[in-house]
Formats: sequence, structure tokens, C-alpha cells
Amino acid sequence: MWDLLKDFWLLFGRLFPFPVEPGLRKVGDPDRSSPVLVTCNFELTVREVLSTLKRDGIDAWLLVAPTKGVNAWCAGGAGDFTADTVISIIKTSGISKLVDHRRLILPQLAANGINIWDLRDRTDWRPRFGPAHIKDLKAYLERNKTLTERKHRLVDFSVKDRFVMGTNLGFNVCLLLILPLLATSYWIPSLWWKSLLLMFPLSVACSLLVFWLPGKVGVQKGLSLGLIVAAIFVVWAHFFGGMTPWALIAWVGWILLVSAFVGYDMPSWSPLWRQDLKELLLGVNNTHVEVVPDKCITCHMCDVVCPTGVFGRNPETNKYEVVNLDACEACGACIENCPTDAIVNNFREGVCSCPTCFIIDGVSSVKSKLDQQKNSKLPII
Amino acid sequence: MSTTVYMKLLEQTPEKYDRGMRILTLGRIDDIKQHIAETCVKRNSKVLEIGCGTGKLAALLVQQGCDVYGIDISKPMLEVASTNAPQAQFAHMAATQIDELEEACFDHIVSTLVFSELSKDELDYVLDDARRVLKPGGTLIVADEMVPSRWWQRLVFYFVRLPLAALTFLLTQNTTHALRSFEARLEQAGYRVRSTRQYLFGSLGLVVSEPV
Repeated sequence: MWDLLKDFWLLFGRLFPFPVEPGLRKVGDPDRSSPVLVTCNFELTVREVLSTLKRDGIDAWLLVAPTKGVNAWCAGGAGDFTADTVISIIKTSGISKLVDHRRLILPQLAANGINIWDLRDRTDWRPRFGPAHIKDLKAYLERNKTLTERKHRLVDFSVKDRFVMGTNLGFNVCLLLILPLLATSYWIPSLWWKSLLLMFPLSVACSLLVFWLPGKVGVQKGLSLGLIVAAIFVVWAHFFGGMTPWALIAWVGWILLVSAFVGYDMPSWSPLWRQDLKELLLGVNNTHVEVVPDKCITCHMCDVVCPTGVFGRNPETNKYEVVNLDACEACGACIENCPTDAIVNNFREGVCSCPTCFIIDGVSSVKSKLDQQKNSKLPII
Repeated sequence: MSTTVYMKLLEQTPEKYDRGMRILTLGRIDDIKQHIAETCVKRNSKVLEIGCGTGKLAALLVQQGCDVYGIDISKPMLEVASTNAPQAQFAHMAATQIDELEEACFDHIVSTLVFSELSKDELDYVLDDARRVLKPGGTLIVADEMVPSRWWQRLVFYFVRLPLAALTFLLTQNTTHALRSFEARLEQAGYRVRSTRQYLFGSLGLVVSEPV
């Protein structure tokens, strides 16, 4: 019974933290040379990692780090999945005594929190970032190179992911609006359940069709879906509805409003787009990031950690530069992991795809980097 | 938007944390801190506080003439702490990093409402290392939420604590997980319990122990 409730909650409530006990997990039958992997302690992530590794027949040691039950990407952004967290799990799990090597594979999507240089300096481990998706881990291990292939660094948003995120988007939009909607039932008794019936499929459709819907930002995509749905509704009402013209206009307006809202909420459920209020409302590109060429030492770490392929190597100078600014999610992974602080940005103005960072005034890792530059260090014992 | 709203609700701030802990302990946490500073800690001793939070206890200890070193994993907390207890020293460190500290350099280690937030492995590790950091004859002073050992107290505990925890979460979005059989774990880790005090029907405990 409890398990059933838990699964139901996890099905729709994946926005909320859900912790499992941190610690060392044996996957398959690992020995002293098996790879050591790190992940967060969000229930769904641990489940997926374990089942994928099992499916691929990988024997490994899995370190489930204490990230407050939050997924790798959001915990990294919020400062709950950092080099400190990884050091803590290395120490408390006793993994150093179980393996002969010191190769540590970190989740690439936690690079917005984990500073790999810091981790390398403070431990005797040799950390590196693995692929963005756990499904590519097998290919990464078989390749037997420190670096991930470029195609394995980029996040995708597959049909399955889009469907799952769509249902969660729908669930949360309904949850958010159910109280105001119930309040209207005094005047319009059937509005609330009709709206819920409208919002949920609309969210799923918006998420599934997001690549094909016309429009640049979420609101536009949502509105174009809303126009299609409204057109179908008008045709249906014309033949079967028998509605008064005013009721018809009111419903069309309501459909457009709801779809615009769903579209606005959509980007924060995707791994691909930032949720930037200024951009959404004013239509200007507010995100800025650039590499200072003089400071770049061509270590390629910015390219390794970027989940959307913003950076590219300049063939003449061999240095890295921003080649695809539109794809930038303002996650701050490149800034966190640039050893020479060569990347300048305006992320502090509250731009981020991750809703946590969006709220906490820019990315925490970026913020701490900026604080460090101001020399406001706390005294060390 | 929905995500934004939820995250705004779930956002943690030092002020919210203090408020939450006061509700969760029905205000007893302030009494406990006072008690620790006045009776559990020797005057003018050297004290390590694991998880200093907003520095309330550190300020009380400084009043007792103690040399206080506070560590916390949250930078915003440390900023508040260093204004609340300007004479104390603070560092950004996790509880599991106390192995980086020198051996036998503290008379007391105090920690309030921190151990209940650690995972099982982390707690074992910290207990192990705290023993090394303490001077001979030093004490480990822990005040935390505990699941009571007697069955009738446990009954009261669940009746009182669950609504209280729900209320705390609603108002401040703070959660904790009460420690289970903490004294037994202390003994396993090589400590001898010197004294215990119970508050709120045994749901809050203050345990003073020393390494054997």
C-alpha cells in the first residue's frame, strides 16, 4: 500500500525532493578495478541509474551522495551537490579501501555545482565527468577514455521524457490552479473540472509537440497550440455545441489563456531551455556569456561540462569561444569549472532554466565564484 | 511558473530556519542552548561547534569566555552567524570535514539539531572523528530530536511530533529526521554517556558524552 502511494507520488510529483539513504551501492558484482560512479540521492534517479546499469550488465560501485533528495542538476544549481558533497560520500562510504584505482565518474549534469579542480586538489581521486545520460555510460566505459564524446555530453529531450514531463507539468499546473478554480464554482459550477480536463491534456500535448509548435519562446509555443485547440473547439461547437456566441468567445479566450500559461511553464520542465522572465515578456535575449581569449588556457573544460554545446574551439587560435549563445541555459557549469575564471556572464540577474537558481538570484556556484573574487573569504581555522 | 512558485515556497533562509526550529521544539531549543552554555561547557575553554547555524549558541558560549570555532555547510548561515557572534571564528566546512582539523585541540564539541540531518554513514564518520579532535577529558555535547526509548513516550512522541513537524513544514518548510537509539550508537562509536536530559516527553534530548 505504502509502495503504491509512493509510486503514484513519484509519477506526478517529481518536482519535489524524495530522498533515499545515501551510501555505497554495489551494482552487479564489482571488483577492485570496477568503475566508481557518483549520483544524487533522489529516489527516481537512483532507480533509473540502477536499472540502466543492470540492463547494460555493468558491474560498478555506485556512490549515492547526500543531496537532500534532489536530482543532480537542481542540487548542483542550489549548492547541495558540490565538491564537499562528493568528498563526504567518498570518506563515509570507505570506497578508497575497496578499489585499487582512483578514477571517479561524476554526473555531468551536476557540473553546475561540482568544481572538478577543487575536488581533484582536495582528494587523491582523479575525477572526470561522465555522459549526460546514464544510458550512454556503457559506450563511455567501453571507449575507455577520460573524455566523453561530444554527442554524449549534450542533453536530449526524447519522446518518453517529453511525455513524462508533460504529465508532471499538467499535474502541477492543475495543483497550482485548483484552489482559485474551485473558488469560481460558486458562479460557474462546472468551470473547475472542465478546466482541469482541459489543462492536463494541453500540458501533455504542449510538451510532446514542443519541437514542432511554431514560436520562439514557451508562451508563443503554448499560444500556437492554444489556437489549434480553440479552432477545433469552435468547429465542434458550431456543429454540436449549441452555445451562445458569448459563451463561445469566453471559452476560446479561456483556452488561449490556459495554453499561454502552460507554454510559459513548459521551459522549466525541459532540460533544454532557460526560463527567463525578461526574455519571455520583452522578447530580448537577456543571457550573455563569453570567453576572455587572453585567460583561456584551452583546457576544454567548458565544452566538457556544457549540456547544450554552447562552446567550440577556434581552429586558428585553438582557444574556446561561444559559438551558440542561444542554446545557453545559464546553468553556470562552465563558470564553476573554468580554472582561470575566463568566462564572463550576466547570470546574476536571475536567469536560469533551473527554477531553483531562477529564484535564488542567479546560480549559487556562480554567486560563490563572484564572492570569492571580491575577497570576502571567511577565516579558515 | 508552478515550479517557480514551489521553489519560492521551499527556499531556505537563515531566518526561516530559526523560526522553524523554534516551532518544532516549542521554543525549548533556546533553553537548551542556554543550558549548554551555562552548565555543560567549562568557562574559557576551546569549543568546536558543528553546524553553527545562525550563531545563537556561539554567541552564548563567547559570553562564557570560550574560544569558539563554528563550522557550517551553508554560507548564508555563516554570514548571519558572524554578525550574531563577531568574536567567534567561523569556517565553511561540512561536518564530515572535521578530520581536516588538528588532533586533540578542543575541550568540547557541541552540536544542536545537526546530527539528525546527517545520513547514517555520515553520523558514524563524524562520531569517529570527533573522538580524535577532542582533548583527553573533553566532551561531546549533542542536543537533538530523538525518538524516545520507552513505548509510552514513543506514543506521545508520534502524537505530538507529527502535527508539530507538519506545522513547521507548512510555516517554514524545514524538516528533520529524529535520531533513533542515539545513546546506543554513541556507545558503539566508543563514547561513554555522562549525562542525559530529556525535553518534551523525550522527543528532544541533550546528551553529554566523553570518549572512552
